[in-house]
Amino acid sequence: MSEIINKKLIKLNLESTDKNDVISELAQLIDDEGRLNSFEGYCTNVREREDMSTTGIGFGIAIPHGKCIDVKEATVAFGRKEEGIDWQSLDGEPAKIIFLIAVPNETESNLHLKILAALSRKLMDEEFREELIKTQNEDQVLKILTDIFDSVEK
Amino acid sequence: MMNVVAATACPSGVAHTYMSAEALERAFKKAGHNIKVETQGSIGIENQLTDEDIANADFVILTKDMGIKNEERFAGKKIVRIFIGDAIKKADAIVKKLESHLEK
Repeated sequence: MSEIINKKLIKLNLESTDKNDVISELAQLIDDEGRLNSFEGYCTNVREREDMSTTGIGFGIAIPHGKCIDVKEATVAFGRKEEGIDWQSLDGEPAKIIFLIAVPNETESNLHLKILAALSRKLMDEEFREELIKTQNEDQVLKILTDIFDSVEK
Repeated sequence: MMNVVAATACPSGVAHTYMSAEALERAFKKAGHNIKVETQGSIGIENQLTDEDIANADFVILTKDMGIKNEERFAGKKIVRIFIGDAIKKADAIVKKLESHLEK
């Protein structure tokens, strides 16, 4: 089982300027790592989820996600956009940090789901969010996220 | 001090279930109350509420974005139904609202 995130899945300066393009841009990173069966299928699933209700949770954070057969293994891609992206967030603030989450329909292990649960909980911590917004490079982001993921009981 | 139990669930069971649980725990504990939150997510049911937890609770908070499993456990209790988004964004306001209800 490979790590849920790696350096190639982190992009600190997203090029996209709208929600749809951000989803594609981050999904491309996941696809480049060979973790999707269908790029289009996965993106459609993520957008359908967005259409149900926004995943912009406020605090400048969005967590678009898709759980479907188009995903090979659970993965998180991390993107940041200083100017922010309109995500119809709960508090109306643009999203500056975007976690794109990919989960296969059926997982052999619960570990990845536990990791995502831990990440979700951690996002409620203001200091943690500040830390993510201030990071200077991909290595720092990776370190912060890996520390959380490693703390999950295996 | 209030005793509160809650159960959270969201359609994909991946993220919001846990965010809302965390947000409620943080807000109620910060205000000096007891809270236990059961999560009904993709991992299954965690931190399951016991009969004793429920019996001792002044309020039961349930998210209403999708059905909560075994809801019959809460029959006869004061049930507050909230949207997950409100738990995440307005947990402090939920605490205050319940505090004012308790005083009455």
